[in-house]
Amino acid sequence: MTEAAEGLAKRATGIRGLDQMTRGGLPAAGGTLILGRPASGKTVLAMQILAQAIARGEGAIFVSFEESRRQVLRDAASFSWWHHLHDEQRFELIDARPAPGSRVSGEFDLEGLLAAIGFCVERTGAHWLVFDGIDQLLRRQQDALMAADQIHGLSNWCEERDLSLILTGKLSEHSLAPTHLEGIEFLLPSVFILSTTLVSNQLSRRFRIAKYRGSAHTTDEVAMLLDDDGVHFPYAIRPTAAAGPAPNERISTGIRRLDEVLEGGFYRGSTSLISGQPGTAKTTLSGSVAAAAAARGERTLFISFDEQQATVVRNLASVGISLGEPIASGLIQFHAREAWNGLIEAHYHALQQLIDGFEPDCLIIDPISALLKADGADSAQVAIERVLSTTRARGITTLLTSLGTQIDPTSEATLSHASTLADTWLVLGYNVRGGERNRSLSVVKSRGSAHSDQVRELILARQGIDLAEVYEYGTEVLMGTARMQKESEEAINRRLKRLEDNQRQRALKQRIEQTEAEAERLRLELQAHEEERSAREQSARRHEREVMSRRTPSAKGGDDDQHRTPEQPPPKGAA
Amino acid sequence: MNHRSETMTVVSPRNLKLFVTGDAPRSKRARANLAEALERIGLDPDAVPEIDLSADPVQTLTFGIFATPALLRTSEAGDTEVLYGDLSERRALERFLALG
Repeated sequence: MTEAAEGLAKRATGIRGLDQMTRGGLPAAGGTLILGRPASGKTVLAMQILAQAIARGEGAIFVSFEESRRQVLRDAASFSWWHHLHDEQRFELIDARPAPGSRVSGEFDLEGLLAAIGFCVERTGAHWLVFDGIDQLLRRQQDALMAADQIHGLSNWCEERDLSLILTGKLSEHSLAPTHLEGIEFLLPSVFILSTTLVSNQLSRRFRIAKYRGSAHTTDEVAMLLDDDGVHFPYAIRPTAAAGPAPNERISTGIRRLDEVLEGGFYRGSTSLISGQPGTAKTTLSGSVAAAAAARGERTLFISFDEQQATVVRNLASVGISLGEPIASGLIQFHAREAWNGLIEAHYHALQQLIDGFEPDCLIIDPISALLKADGADSAQVAIERVLSTTRARGITTLLTSLGTQIDPTSEATLSHASTLADTWLVLGYNVRGGERNRSLSVVKSRGSAHSDQVRELILARQGIDLAEVYEYGTEVLMGTARMQKESEEAINRRLKRLEDNQRQRALKQRIEQTEAEAERLRLELQAHEEERSAREQSARRHEREVMSRRTPSAKGGDDDQHRTPEQPPPKGAA
Repeated sequence: MNHRSETMTVVSPRNLKLFVTGDAPRSKRARANLAEALERIGLDPDAVPEIDLSADPVQTLTFGIFATPALLRTSEAGDTEVLYGDLSERRALERFLALG
């Protein structure tokens, strides 16, 4: 039991969406009226609240005015929580149907029933009491005011004993008042309205809190789902906001050149959209992303709205992408769904359940646009936005694919808004030229990345997926044979250039060698010339000395200067 | 009154049970109305067993009587019928006592 800020004590129902909408549960002491038309889920909702309470160790009493004990238990047996209703220590099921053929003479009350319930409350320690279909009994009350008065008395009785009372009642055809029990909606503190509509021949259940006296609550009408686990309110649960800064880590798409174009791949925790016409390799790219995640040891939840697992695995294997092994090891969980087979809210709920259960690092929905085909009272856009809120809050890297039209492959932007929500948007297409159809990829946007706007050719081969180099021809990017021709021409040109380079290199080396030989020859010639000049000078000096010596007769003891050659230094002290 | 008892088949008091909740106003009225009706047809009101569910709530579950006061009639074959209320509608009560 919780004490709300405003002082109203509440008791949690254990149904997550309901506890969120009621800000904590139902009044811990007093009555809640659940009104609805047949098949709206009133009894299941009440039973589930009791089953959850019993599972938590609380006691509970269910009083049926419409169905026998056996019928009630049989109906509950189709839900996963049924076994809690067989806990005899904590649960009492009272078959309070009026006796067959019974009649009425005057006023009656519920005192005897309350005495019995008081006995059962003591035995089970009950905190919860459900009166299912009490209108079956009180309609026999000749005075409608008397019936309402008895409900009021019942609510007070429960309030005095800290019992959470739930009353189910049938909704009038044309008003929001209960059949046979007019006015009791004003007496009880909280009233829930369950309604049903047919949406494309499928039953859509809706839930609304018509009033909750003394408590803040959600006033919106929300979808209510029924499955094997009972009642769910998928849109009542608001995803928690993402905490902390956005991660800067890049994760690979599994395609090296695409990673380069995206400056390293997708941001972790970001949302990407791949759109394109049928057959443009959206699923193949998705498979590549899943395989790359598995290679990193990360978990991927792969939701396919188009194809079965075996088909996808086989097709991807033909382009070198193996999903079989990571699926077998549990790194990839594959779920195939049919968009037509369920309302939008059911698909949304299933996606949330799968995300909660598998806790993936990466989510792939192929194609998200299939949800637009599903019927529902709520829009597919809301469901998509809610899924993305969840993935962002949990840091799940999400890849959506979307089917575009031939006229405008980006037209899904107006349909699903997924492109607006996506951080990265890749558009796949066909380039038809020269009798060929080639797949193309372009990055329309990639938040946080300086990416190229060029259209690139997407190549699917047995070895895997690749992006071709960009070959521009005027204003076009060449693809297919034209690209290969261009590639071939460029390869020949490169080879010729290499040959030219080699030849020129050889010629230059040759010229260097020749020049070096000439230089050596000239060096030798210079050396010879200098040797010759030196010899000539020596010879000249010798000749001069001889001439000088001939001009001067031998002068013994004569002046020394007269006998000194010009090269000879004067004697010391002569200066 | 005697004329009625001579021409109608009436229930035996031992085949009746009156379910009440102490001295609650409706229970008191039911007691009085039943006694008056039985006296009118010459039967002894004290011969009808009375079960006070507030004193013995298990009897509520045993007999499946969830609206009070209530008059239970058991046929010789063991079939049961119930008349709910304070028995203030004389004709409905008389029809019940006259086996239908």
